[in-house]
Amino acid sequence: MILFGGLLFALYALDLSLSGPEGFAEAKALLAAPLGKFIAWALLTGLGYHFAAGLKHLFLDWDIGDTLAGAQLGARLVIVTAVVLSALAGAWLW
Amino acid sequence: MVKSATSLTRSGLSDFLLQRVTAIVLGLYTVCVVGFLVVTPGVSYEQWLAYQGSGAMRLFSTLAVLATAGHAWVGMWTIGTDYIRGHYFGRQATLARGLYQLVCAGVLFIFVGWALELFWRL
Repeated sequence: MILFGGLLFALYALDLSLSGPEGFAEAKALLAAPLGKFIAWALLTGLGYHFAAGLKHLFLDWDIGDTLAGAQLGARLVIVTAVVLSALAGAWLW
Repeated sequence: MVKSATSLTRSGLSDFLLQRVTAIVLGLYTVCVVGFLVVTPGVSYEQWLAYQGSGAMRLFSTLAVLATAGHAWVGMWTIGTDYIRGHYFGRQATLARGLYQLVCAGVLFIFVGWALELFWRL
């Protein structure tokens, strides 16, 4: 749901950044402001989690990790990966 | 009885496959664009325009936009049919889900039109 709403925010920033040199500077300023940074970080966090969980689903499709123990390990790996990606996104933005 | 009037392909298996193909497209696209920004610190407008405006990226972006529309439709449909149903919403469930899907369709329509215009005017 957050990613769905984020689509339009990200598209707005992209449109602005490619609308000309002034728009590009404006988009940079938007992403440098605390609120813009937070929204970008929240979107990257959501995207990172979705990415990790999606990869797990693809593995499950190939019957990898679909035992009870495997699923528990997979769920933990997804959470750990998502937290790491979120921290990396935060470090990158700030 | 109507079983899948609002799924994207009217077949669960096709939606399943489509969801995975579009996922791979979107995963690769995300890695490419985020990767470019990570390896290009302090990116300039000229660099950004040259990257997004190249023929290959415009095609890739178009593919990603269409993949997003399909992936988001299937994903939002899944959420809607999981949660907006009689158990939670009573007799208004079908109407509520119809309105919800109308909003989803509207947002995705705006997204696709806007995004395609954006990439192809570069």
